[in-house]
Amino acid sequence: MTEDSTLVAQALKGDRKAFEMIVRKYEQPLTNYLGRMTGEREAALDFTQEVFIKVYRSLGSYRPAYKFSTWLFKIASNHLIDHWRKKKLPTLSLDQPIDDEDGSLTPQVPDPGPSVARKFELAEIRQKIERALGAIPAALRELFVLRHVNEFSYEEIADIKSLPVGTVKNRVFQAKEMIRKRMEGS
Amino acid sequence: MRDCRSAESFYLYLEGELGPSERRELEAHLETCPACRGVLAERRLLHEAFTSLPPFEVPPDFALSVMDRLPEPAEAKPHWLAALVSGLAALVVGLLGFYILTGESLSDVLVAISRSFSSGFGRLLPLFAKLLKVGSLLLDVASGFVTMLGQGLVTLLSALGPEGIGLILGLGFLLSLLLFFGAKRLLSLGEKV
Repeated sequence: MTEDSTLVAQALKGDRKAFEMIVRKYEQPLTNYLGRMTGEREAALDFTQEVFIKVYRSLGSYRPAYKFSTWLFKIASNHLIDHWRKKKLPTLSLDQPIDDEDGSLTPQVPDPGPSVARKFELAEIRQKIERALGAIPAALRELFVLRHVNEFSYEEIADIKSLPVGTVKNRVFQAKEMIRKRMEGS
Repeated sequence: MRDCRSAESFYLYLEGELGPSERRELEAHLETCPACRGVLAERRLLHEAFTSLPPFEVPPDFALSVMDRLPEPAEAKPHWLAALVSGLAALVVGLLGFYILTGESLSDVLVAISRSFSSGFGRLLPLFAKLLKVGSLLLDVASGFVTMLGQGLVTLLSALGPEGIGLILGLGFLLSLLLFFGAKRLLSLGEKV
């Protein structure tokens, strides 16, 4: 696959196909991240679109010395923060449980494991995690999602959020323990 | 039990984030601690679920809808404009620096600069004008000479006709032979002497 920095260089020269390749590569991970942060698929898709437009406008400021994915998620994270500030939404408004009855979440559950019992067990745990995830503070949820949904390393998350690596590790741990406790309570 | 590890250590162990020595210590402890083995088993199941959360569905035409909404690419600024802007910025920074360091008023600096500019320009301008005039005169003379020579040759050739041209070429050839042998003879005489 073509390197991100090469695609960026081509897009900067006016090659729209190159930017389309960037969009196709990152539409899924970005929607996963924004979906879990907003709790709604439609909103996540709108945000994803806005982030890509922002990225396109800022391509000139991208430096190939940095990893493109961390730069992209930094823009996405800042975009979310700006949105919440403009709407004056308190972080608590994000603590509403994700309602998956109205189809806001459309999970495509992959085959989780070898046994049927294990499969159902994991599927049930995942549902509980999704609910608990919507109930923890947004700041912790974001770090958890970047780590376990988007599979960034702790160092990359530290870059995206401009936080020390130790703080990121500790907050991801806090998020997991909060989720676990909420799951026990449900 | 003594030496039991924190829950954070178990998560980091499962993620492969522990260093080799920490990992060995934890594994040694797990062999002797059933309570910690239970905690690890619980966290392992959670970890598996954390890392396999389902993705959100993205419509197949999503990328195209993004591309449709993209603005037209901004035209790149010409390089000379960037150079001009940076030059002006450097000048402003230099003037400000001079003002801050010397305490001279900015207007004095500007007047001094304009004077030095005008005096330098005043010296260079007549020299440049003279060079330009001499150059154009030389060019005129040279072009006039070449034109005259060309015209003379054409007139002469047309007046002589083909026979005349043949005669001149023959005489020229004869003259060259005479010069060649004459020179050779002179050189051989020199050798004998």
